[in-house]
Amino acid sequence: MSYKTSLSGSWWRKHRFFKLYMLREATVLPLAFLLCSLLAGVFSLQDAERFAQWQSFMGNPLIVAVHLIALLASLYHAFTFFQLFPRVMPIRLGDKTLPAQWLVAAQWLAVVVIIAIVLWVVSGGEP
Amino acid sequence: MNVQTRAIEVTRYSPERDKEPYLQRYDVPFDESTSILDALNYIKEHIDATLSYRWSCRMAICGSCGVMVNGIPKLGCKDFLRLYDHTPETPIRIEPLAHFSVERDLIVNMDEFLTHLEAVKPYIIGDNVDTASLPAEASLQSPAQLSRYQQFANCINCGLCYAACPQFGLNPEFVGPGAIALAHRYNLDSRDHGKTERMPLLNSKNGVWSCTFVGFCSDVCPKGVDPAAAVNQGKVDSAKSMLIQLFKGSQLQGEHQ
Amino acid sequence: MSRLRGLHFEPLWWSLFSAGGVCFAVFVPAVALVFGVLVPLGVIEVSFVELVGWYQGIWGLIFTGAVLCLPAFHAAHRIRHGLHDLKLGGGSTSAFICYGVAAVFSFTALWAWFTF
Repeated sequence: MSYKTSLSGSWWRKHRFFKLYMLREATVLPLAFLLCSLLAGVFSLQDAERFAQWQSFMGNPLIVAVHLIALLASLYHAFTFFQLFPRVMPIRLGDKTLPAQWLVAAQWLAVVVIIAIVLWVVSGGEP
Repeated sequence: MNVQTRAIEVTRYSPERDKEPYLQRYDVPFDESTSILDALNYIKEHIDATLSYRWSCRMAICGSCGVMVNGIPKLGCKDFLRLYDHTPETPIRIEPLAHFSVERDLIVNMDEFLTHLEAVKPYIIGDNVDTASLPAEASLQSPAQLSRYQQFANCINCGLCYAACPQFGLNPEFVGPGAIALAHRYNLDSRDHGKTERMPLLNSKNGVWSCTFVGFCSDVCPKGVDPAAAVNQGKVDSAKSMLIQLFKGSQLQGEHQ
Repeated sequence: MSRLRGLHFEPLWWSLFSAGGVCFAVFVPAVALVFGVLVPLGVIEVSFVELVGWYQGIWGLIFTGAVLCLPAFHAAHRIRHGLHDLKLGGGSTSAFICYGVAAVFSFTALWAWFTF
């Protein structure tokens, strides 16, 4: 008889590579929290009093900490996702495939531009 | 002359004798050029002739000497003792490829990969044409057409990607990285007309959709095939194929420029 | 019925997951930075009236789609596959719950905008 073991649920703890994979997958947990906060914010726009309540909720140091983790998670997700994108959808121009580094750089540029636009708009610019 | 030795632990398992595999320790002389396979050959020739393992070419092209070295899938001939820590207290651990059944010592049942490989029809499927009767120009290919699939054609069927893939470990029905990379290789070949025959299996839940892009398969591939990219490009193809089936009632036809 | 043979919802979930992944990577960092950190810490001031003005227009709909709905499906997909990875589920029950929650969340967000 040949010998076969089945994988246990803790397989990912065996290597750094798998731990980083699980970290990538776990970035959606703080994201889910942020999404709920934002949905609450959208509903609070219905009147000024509820908006003030939402703002004080968002200002709670614990909530700020979770949202800071969500920010870091989104950046780590971006780091992994931008590397995967050129592999899943390589862009071919004629005979050549566009270098992956260009696509990665273009995607980071998009993140920076979006941050700049949002900062500009909320600090008084017109959208 | 002062010969350096290195402690190695090798998985031993005899189906007639042992209930489960165990590790056996050997001390092997080594220098800069000693590969893991050289170490196994040394054990077999000088210490313990009962050790069983597969090997053939010694030059990373036959794909038969895949083993786990300290838990990472490697070709024995392409991995070297000098790359590992030089203390006798921490032996190098050599085990059979993960996620496969062990037949004896380091020998695994590769059928668990080969049945998936066979199922994706990894060969050029003609258009019901007798290829021998065609003029030679019929199978000419431009460098651009070759470059579409060339990377995926470098697969040597060593199975390291299966030992690296937790989704295959969790679900042995998953067609897996190597077979899907080869299916993709033939789907991208301008001479091939077999895409409609391959898509139903790739479209299934055990096809491309079992993959979560862990990406370790591409990390361990000794030939730089990047099977993870092939599987995930296959998801784009599969999504298109299933949409076309839904709206047209027929499978995706091979699409070539 | 041959056109339905072998079809399943995985490509749909994966497409939503991928679109949501792009949004999570490109739009969420800016939103998390500004509304999750800088505004609550008082680094930037936003007025209620201005926010309402933006939300009422097309920006509110873009925000709803790109920052709320698609990332919700992205999260649902990863949680569902994560349950499979950890051998805690990942089958059709997990799928129903994960995508169901994302769908209810998205519907609520869209409803909030259309009825504003």
